[in-house]
Amino acid sequence: MTLAELLPALHGLARSEKLLAIQVLAADVAREDGETLPPSEASYPVWSPYGACDGAATLMHMLEEEKTR
Amino acid sequence: MWKRFGYVESEPLLGPASALPFAPITLQARDRSVQVSALIDSGATLNVLPYDVGLQLGADWEAQVAPIRLGGNLAESEARGLILSGRIEGFAPVRLAFAWSRSNSIPVILGQTNFFLEFDVRFCRSQMFFEVAPRSSIGG
Repeated sequence: MTLAELLPALHGLARSEKLLAIQVLAADVAREDGETLPPSEASYPVWSPYGACDGAATLMHMLEEEKTR
Repeated sequence: MWKRFGYVESEPLLGPASALPFAPITLQARDRSVQVSALIDSGATLNVLPYDVGLQLGADWEAQVAPIRLGGNLAESEARGLILSGRIEGFAPVRLAFAWSRSNSIPVILGQTNFFLEFDVRFCRSQMFFEVAPRSSIGG
């Protein structure tokens, strides 16, 4: 299949699917080139609750309290 | 004894780029239990439990009095402390303290406090697997 044949289908995709297609192709190219992805304006959510040391201390305290009961 | 798990591709279209270390774990509170696929997250300061999983375990939000301030992308989510029992098949159950979040936009996250205090973990991302062992297995 050629790019000319693919383009109409790509244009018909929903916005979120277009973004996903861009990511897939960018990852493919990066993998093939052995290079990292170029900087992007896109934002990526970070789930990880890093830096929640106060919360960790509270949980440790709860565990200690449970042990002493 | 180390138990091996494969990385899970969370987004099939992205393939290995989306692979993350998820492990099955059974969480229990009193007489209720639920099996979940939990993200083993060495960058997380603490364990995090999504709101719905806590409800499935019969936890009462209003009964949890310890507020937990989360960081990262979850900083805006209210959370409270909740202690559960957690068991990975083949290992003895351990007590795990969670920041029970009001959010459902996250998986169960197992972080430094206190999953990584109870278990040792070896990540072999390039080989798409990781291994978990109870903390007493160091050197074994």
